[in-house]
Amino acid sequence: MIETIDLNDLFSVRPLPFNPEEEDFDVIIVGAGVVGCALFKEFAEQGAKTLLIEKANDILEGASKGNSALLHTGFDAPPESLELACIKRGYEEFLRIKDRFRLPFLNTQALVVAWDDEQLAKLDAILAKGRGNGIKDLDLLEPDQIRRREPRLSPRAKGAVLVHGESVIDAWSAPLAYLRVGLAAGGSAVFSSPVTGGEYDGQLWNLQTPRGTFRGRLVINAAGLYGDIVDRIAGFEDWRIIPRKGQFLIYDKSAYDLIRSIILPVPTKITKGVVLTRTAYGNLLLGPTAEDQESRTDRRTLRQTLRMLQEKGEAILPGLNEHKVVATFAGLRPASDRPEYRVHRNERGDWITAGGIRSTGLTSALGLAKHLFELSGLPSRPVDYQDPVVPNISVFAPRDYERPGYGRMVCHCEQVTKREILRALEGESPAGTYGGLRRRTRAVMGRCQGFNCLADVAELCKRVKAKKEGAL
Amino acid sequence: MKRIPVAVVGAGPAGLAASTELARLGHEVHCYERESVAGGMPRHCGHQGFGLLDLHRPLDGPAYAAELVRRARQAGVTLHTDHTLLSLDGKRMRFCSPEQGAFEIEADRILLALGARETPRPARLIDGIRSPAILTTGALQRFVTLQGRRPFRRAVVIGSDIVGFSAIMTCRHAGIEAAALLEEAPFLRVPSLLARGEEMLLGTHVYAGCDALSIEGERGRIEGVCFHWQGEERFIECDGVVFSGEFTPESALLRQSRLSWDPRNDSLPVTQGFGTPHPGIYTAGNLLRGALAAYKCHAEGIAAARSLHTGINRPPAEAIPIATPTLENLDWISPSLVDPTLPHPYLTRLRFRRPTRGTLLTLLNGREVMRSRINARPWQTVTLPWFGQEVKEGDRLELRFF
Ligand SMILES: Cc1cc2nc3c(=O)[nH]c(=O)nc-3n(C[C@H](O)[C@H](O)[C@H](O)COP(=O)(O)OP(=O)(O)OC[C@H]3O[C@@H](n4cnc5c(N)ncnc54)[C@H](O)[C@@H]3O)c2cc1C
Ligand SMILES: Cc1cc2nc3c(=O)[nH]c(=O)nc-3n(C[C@H](O)[C@H](O)[C@H](O)COP(=O)(O)OP(=O)(O)OC[C@H]3O[C@@H](n4cnc5c(N)ncnc54)[C@H](O)[C@@H]3O)c2cc1C
Repeated sequence: MIETIDLNDLFSVRPLPFNPEEEDFDVIIVGAGVVGCALFKEFAEQGAKTLLIEKANDILEGASKGNSALLHTGFDAPPESLELACIKRGYEEFLRIKDRFRLPFLNTQALVVAWDDEQLAKLDAILAKGRGNGIKDLDLLEPDQIRRREPRLSPRAKGAVLVHGESVIDAWSAPLAYLRVGLAAGGSAVFSSPVTGGEYDGQLWNLQTPRGTFRGRLVINAAGLYGDIVDRIAGFEDWRIIPRKGQFLIYDKSAYDLIRSIILPVPTKITKGVVLTRTAYGNLLLGPTAEDQESRTDRRTLRQTLRMLQEKGEAILPGLNEHKVVATFAGLRPASDRPEYRVHRNERGDWITAGGIRSTGLTSALGLAKHLFELSGLPSRPVDYQDPVVPNISVFAPRDYERPGYGRMVCHCEQVTKREILRALEGESPAGTYGGLRRRTRAVMGRCQGFNCLADVAELCKRVKAKKEGAL
Repeated sequence: MKRIPVAVVGAGPAGLAASTELARLGHEVHCYERESVAGGMPRHCGHQGFGLLDLHRPLDGPAYAAELVRRARQAGVTLHTDHTLLSLDGKRMRFCSPEQGAFEIEADRILLALGARETPRPARLIDGIRSPAILTTGALQRFVTLQGRRPFRRAVVIGSDIVGFSAIMTCRHAGIEAAALLEEAPFLRVPSLLARGEEMLLGTHVYAGCDALSIEGERGRIEGVCFHWQGEERFIECDGVVFSGEFTPESALLRQSRLSWDPRNDSLPVTQGFGTPHPGIYTAGNLLRGALAAYKCHAEGIAAARSLHTGINRPPAEAIPIATPTLENLDWISPSLVDPTLPHPYLTRLRFRRPTRGTLLTLLNGREVMRSRINARPWQTVTLPWFGQEVKEGDRLELRFF
């Protein structure tokens, strides 16, 4: 007997954790991308009664699902901007909490490499801008110094700026940790609840969703790629999101050792160029492109573009062509019609927008959250809570399979155990989407892309779904 | 650390055949398999096509796998399922198992038979949306054969390797309509007996020379596959896509363990005796180069086992690589090394990615020693006979087109 399984319907919608009729919140955060999760953590930790509302059935289903996962120092950020201030503060804050929540972090350092004389001439300006931005740990490297650091890099490198602080993190576990901290500190989160409209009744915002109306004194719009649309609820109509696609290639783990540092291009006005970096999962990442588009959902990858990326990558790192591509993906940056962050507050002070956080949000989120908490004027009443755990899926720390009792190995390429999968499906703030499961565990994300494990993973999801729905 | 005499890793046809043979030759054999059930790929090939040429009876994949497991057990092989090889350092192997977590085992002799996998969509850089309903044949077969599930209703199969036809049969068995089989190359990768141009095969349209393939749909739901064929744009509705073939050895962990590497085969270099440049490490089956029929992997397993048996105290030899710097579209070559201390004659097998014809020269120390006319289709293995001279340490061997 063969039964049908719908691979797009492996997860049940999460029940609401409270009755919307009965709760008023100090603050409602709209959107659970990395920015919304960081805000949730900050406001809940500070003792505000906080609600996070997300359209999707899990966190990180928008811009934050696919990025380069670099923790930036801000050396190249716009001087004296809010963005720079938030990047620096976010960076510091990440360093402060990373051990407490066991967030993967690898200080790879970065090289901004000049490949011709024109680019070489710009290195001094990059250095000066970085120092001006308050980033002290910067050095100019000569070609032989580059070679010593990165012997596999093309010998055409003419010079480079070494940025000591640039680092690689796990872009999925960190926001998950923020969410769990927010929950542990007493915050509430609702999923599968797109905010479709809202009214201010003189005291409270009433935000409408298909699952009820939620009430709060302050709303923070962190809707990422939909920030402009959500902003219309508060009457802000003067800006718009222009999604900017970035396509990527992920190389197999054999390529991880080809470079140590993040290899950045010298920025030009026309092209941003491509980055080569290690990932927290032991791969090598090449990308992204920067393509403006209308669609807020179109994440198609194109062979032609990916080939172009490969060519660029191979010109920088000649050995790259001997390694296999295991995955491709595209991310969408919530860029807007102006280059800076769209952070503003209405006159009454009951609506704050954290919008247009286009290409540095992973780094700046924790800093922006602190900044917006200050801006909110809410009193700080730090709460005690028990630190949540976020299982390690990076190669920087021991993995689950190293400990006995893991059930069985389900995903062989990424070495994901049944214990990890069940924990992600049934444990604390469980996965609500297939992508959410993949981001919590790395299952099906390796070189075979499910040849070995997809059927098994789908079956586990289906079983847990049936169990949960039976329990309702 | 546990120390054992002989470890076989991978319990597919090659590893099981090798284990059984080694046990029959009197060795204490431990065979490690990462899945919970031994048997390898045939376990999920729920169709006929196995057994006739090695076990002398027609079997479907699961029955064939079960029979190989039975024989191994009977011969006294200790099978350790749910044991994943993580890395190798000389002859120290790092494994993990649900009972022990990570641990190490040292073996005097190791035979690696890790098999191969198909190339999935991302590595082929195919345009379009992402969806969980984009599978490989292996994944589809696991849904159908191992879980009894039908992941979609109407599929487009991409890739005309022989397993593309296995994908079609699996679809039919599961009640999935196989709407079309698409091939990007201008030719099909199977003998013309099975498919002729765009004619229908078991109700499936076959198109070779497809251009600009793109998977269309919305929010993870596939609506169809778009492509150009003979200058026309076509769209075939479906709710699932199966990428078949383009096998690649399951060798990543060996490369990460910094074992020597042959980029032509994407695997360890291998001698005519299934040895490798690493003393005491042998290999067999699809791990060597990608997929061949199961009975061939089975035969390789037996041959590798015998070689391991006789070579047990032999010092490592300076093996000579068979160079092919000018051979375009070479898919794989086996052996890729000649061990001068092993008995001759030996045969050299190779395969090309595209139809290839010409005169292939074998050069020994730069001197022509053999000429072979070849006219190879992409599914054909070219077999070169021995050129009649013993190869000595320090010799140079090369294949090149005339
Ligand atoms: C290609 C690329 C590379 C990048 N590299 C880096 C990097 O290396 N380092 C770095 O620091 N940053 C990087 N970034 C930037 C970073 O990823 C973004 O700045 C960040 O993800 C933005 O997060 P967000 O929370 O603002 O938006 P989103 O992640 O889009 O979150 C918004 C959320 O709001 C939800 N939502 C939308 N509308 C509604 C509604 N009506 N009701 C309820 N919920 C709603 C969405 O579902 C979504 O979950 C990169 C970005 C891209 C695309
Ligand atoms: C869809 C499909 C249809 C096919 N149809 C036919 C057919 O009709 N007739 C035919 O003759 N052949 C067919 N084949 C080919 C045949 O199945 C293979 O050639 C044969 O299984 C290869 O044997 P093997 O032992 O080399 O590898 P595999 O069968 O792949 O076995 C390798 C084993 O090693 C294990 N392994 C891998 N890595 C590790 C590790 N790190 N630690 C522990 N264990 C590990 C794997 O889990 C696996 O069990 C088909 C293959 C496919 C995919």
